[in-house]
Amino acid sequence: MAAVVPFEDVHEGDEIPARSKVVRREDVKAYADASGDQNPLHQDDAFATGVGFPGIIAHGMFSMAHLASALTDWLGDPTALVRLKVQFRAPVFMDETLIAGGRVVSLDPETRRARLEVTAFVDREGSRVFAIKNSEAEVQLA
Amino acid sequence: MPLNQALKGKSYEPVTYEVERDRVSDFAAAIGEEAAVFRDPGAASAAGFAEQVAPPTFATVMNISISGQAVTDPELGLDYARVVHAEMEYEWRRPVVVGDVLTATPRIADIYARGPNEFLVVEADIADATGQTVVWSRSVLLSRGTAER
Repeated sequence: MAAVVPFEDVHEGDEIPARSKVVRREDVKAYADASGDQNPLHQDDAFATGVGFPGIIAHGMFSMAHLASALTDWLGDPTALVRLKVQFRAPVFMDETLIAGGRVVSLDPETRRARLEVTAFVDREGSRVFAIKNSEAEVQLA
Repeated sequence: MPLNQALKGKSYEPVTYEVERDRVSDFAAAIGEEAAVFRDPGAASAAGFAEQVAPPTFATVMNISISGQAVTDPELGLDYARVVHAEMEYEWRRPVVVGDVLTATPRIADIYARGPNEFLVVEADIADATGQTVVWSRSVLLSRGTAER
């Protein structure tokens, strides 16, 4: 499979389509089982409140996976995602809506690759809280 | 107690993992990934892949075994109750597919302090059976409040 988004169609400042999902307890449980990360912080409310959260939080990697899907949805080719580097900045609570997206910051005509600034956030009590910020992706364009 | 700086550069035992179909399907379902190449071997082969493709962050299933040896290394002195996952980076060289037998060799790339916290950087080359790197991973764990004052 080859990259499908043409280099010529992408410009600095372009935003990729945002990918949004409600984070459900059962998804986080399924992620714990599928990834093997059984940290009680992601499954046991009593444990999570004991360390200062209102309840369980999603795995950081759960948000990163959602962000990677936002990128591969846009690219139409899973192999076109070359690199993804994220910083985890805030926890995501259950039933919050996680929105992942990105903006093109530079393009390299020689490699036909683009670099994007990427984020994942939730809206909490009227303010935007970034679960992933100061993060970047590199993608291969056609 | 600060982390043991002498462990910078330490390599750990290679970890081997065989990519199974059920695990890939479960992982794709858990992250809400609906693209057919991640769910269906037929669709993957129609798109030119050798087998059903693992979602990019599937490499995370190896993370626990990768960072685990460093995290539990008694010489390092890390208290897991203080640990927060601060950063993660993957570089993909080719897609991981069902049937791949992957071997990761973890290494402590760095240990540094910033303010009251310390940071442990674990890197791993994840290679296939031919020895080619498939994914390179870098995980940064934050150890709360353990830096020397």
